[in-house]
Amino acid sequence: MTHKVLVIEDDDGIRELVGNLLATAGYLVSYAPDGNTAIKKFKSDNPDLLLLDIMLPGQDGIEVCREVRTLSGVPIIMLTARSDTSDVVAGLEAGADDYIAKPFEGAELMARIRARLRPMASEGGTLRIGPLVLDSQAHEVRRGEALIPLTPLEFSLLHTLASKPNQVFSRELLLQRVWGYQHTVDTRLVNVHVQRLRSKIEEDPVNPKIVTTVRGYGYKAGSD
Amino acid sequence: MISLLRRSLQVRTVAATVLLSTIALFALGGFLSFTLSDGLYQSRVNQVLEETERSVGTVQNTISAAALVDETSLQVLLNSVVPSLEISGATRSRQVALLRSPGQAELQLLQSPISANLDLRTIPDALRSQVRSAGDSISYTPVAIQKGDVVVPGITVGVPINIPLAGAYELYLVYDLAAEQETLNFVQSVLLVGGLVLVGAIALVSSVVTRRIVSPMERAAAAAERLAEGNLNERLAERGEDVIAVLARSFNRMANSLQQQIQRLDSLSQMQRRFVSDVSHELRTPLTTIKLAGESIFAQRDSLDPNLARSAELMQSQIERFEGLLSDLLEISRYDAGAVVPELELTDVKSVVRSAVASLEPLAASQKVKIEVKAPREPIEAELDFRRIERLLRNLISNALEHSESEPVRVQIGANTEAVAISVTDRGPGMSGEQLNHVFDRFWRADPARKRSTGGTGLGLSIAKEDATVHRGWLQVWSEPGRGSSFRLTLPRRRDYNVIDSPLKLPPPELAKAKKNSVRSKT
Repeated sequence: MTHKVLVIEDDDGIRELVGNLLATAGYLVSYAPDGNTAIKKFKSDNPDLLLLDIMLPGQDGIEVCREVRTLSGVPIIMLTARSDTSDVVAGLEAGADDYIAKPFEGAELMARIRARLRPMASEGGTLRIGPLVLDSQAHEVRRGEALIPLTPLEFSLLHTLASKPNQVFSRELLLQRVWGYQHTVDTRLVNVHVQRLRSKIEEDPVNPKIVTTVRGYGYKAGSD
Repeated sequence: MISLLRRSLQVRTVAATVLLSTIALFALGGFLSFTLSDGLYQSRVNQVLEETERSVGTVQNTISAAALVDETSLQVLLNSVVPSLEISGATRSRQVALLRSPGQAELQLLQSPISANLDLRTIPDALRSQVRSAGDSISYTPVAIQKGDVVVPGITVGVPINIPLAGAYELYLVYDLAAEQETLNFVQSVLLVGGLVLVGAIALVSSVVTRRIVSPMERAAAAAERLAEGNLNERLAERGEDVIAVLARSFNRMANSLQQQIQRLDSLSQMQRRFVSDVSHELRTPLTTIKLAGESIFAQRDSLDPNLARSAELMQSQIERFEGLLSDLLEISRYDAGAVVPELELTDVKSVVRSAVASLEPLAASQKVKIEVKAPREPIEAELDFRRIERLLRNLISNALEHSESEPVRVQIGANTEAVAISVTDRGPGMSGEQLNHVFDRFWRADPARKRSTGGTGLGLSIAKEDATVHRGWLQVWSEPGRGSSFRLTLPRRRDYNVIDSPLKLPPPELAKAKKNSVRSKT
């Protein structure tokens, strides 16, 4: 299956070279040099993945990310020149699934794209965790009758935790299982995504009952 | 009490004032009391002498006037005249005694009339001899009179009298000074009470007065304290023209100046931070293109002309080096701008070490040097910034791998209740004292000629030092030429702990020998 990737980047050089890399790897590539074009192209092309530069003229990359998220749970990988926490966290909170810092290695970028486009696991059947019901096949989460919209990554995170209730998963382990990293140092990814997940599934995100933090070790999903 | 005196200016001032006033009042009171008692005594003496003269005159005249022929009538006369001199009463009593002078040849024929209750001790012998030798004049002496339970002061006055037919006699009058004593007592107690009241009033007044002076000072001190704590808006009210107003004005000027200075520094710091951030973005964008393009060329180098292929290789390695340098420069700039806030999270220390060691396995393999990790069995957790500490350890371990000839690099973890320590030790050539002084300097290399397999930037240890400092920890090194080097990182286990002692020893026991004067270390 040929995946479509939308590259949203204002620098010509990067846009072109990344496009080449993607094309060589067999993806269908479309481009947008700024925020407005990005939204238009997103709506018209319906890509399977977005590469989004955070620093864009006009509409800020963060804004684009938010707007796309209101429309779809499509995987978004942020391209960022600043690895200051506040920028990275802002991007992740706005809905990006992952980020890669410039200058990046072509091979690294392709690996992350592949990881995000990998089809999600469908085993597990129906999982119950707390008041939630997870459908592993349909990749849906319900609270009672209400469907909770989660991005594929958020669902994957919840599913991983819920498949072993009350077992503590370290951040390193989660990065491996959910994001597909062998070893990485950036645990911010996990932290922010857990926050996002909580804001969607918990009654009181500030006092989480379903996905809880185990200080010094990681996270677990429980039904106490 | 002593500490109160030390701490409170007001208490000290009031205490000193009260003390000095009390001494002065005591002195004055003592003087007054003395003068008064002396005056009272003197005036009584004068009165007594006058009375005595009159009385003696009366007796003498009576005796002379009576033409007495025999002792019996003389006795009768004496028995009536002498007692008439008596005055009785609670105060100002007068007792009389008519005593025959001793040592006379003729026999004593008459009885000496003496007042009842007269205590003969009130007529001392010294007075008697004085009276006898004084001719016609009156002699007197102060005495103590026992009246019931109390002893009252008195005066005994004596005069010689020649009684015809009877011989030489001495007439004594004993006056008591009870009244004067009472007056004196009364005055003294009034003085005492008055003095105490005065001291009290002085204490009160001096309290109020010093309060008025001390409280503006206290206000100024409190304002200075708040200013020092960071509240730059503190100012004092400027009222009046006195020295307190001058103090307030100076303080306010100083505070203004401080506030402006700090604001200026703040905005400079802000500008620097923004600059670093902008530069970061501006430099990284073209570098990304260069890197990606270089990768493409590098990937195809086999199909290129050998010279071009070589160019592609060189370009690729230099791009990597440039990238590392840029990254390090930006990081150090962030530290200089004060823009670094570590993201402290409770972390398993062993996992940080594992991660750093794992990422350096390829380098270790290429250098043919093993990495040994020694850690205690139990889990060790600490609040730290994973990314920074992992980077720090990678720096230390890669340096150690670079310098180690063939001996393994040892990474050791230690912990106590407040701190955790990680040491990285190699048995390479070590560093001299001079080199140790510069080891954390920017862009400094121990041996400039040494080939760097890792393409280090020269900023690694400087950044490592900053990373340790921002965690409120220590990064220290020990080295000896020919023996090796050991870098020790010590961090507090919680963000509010202080590092007092490092859980690991520097130099590590396996490197340290008994040579005392060869231990060199740098913090």
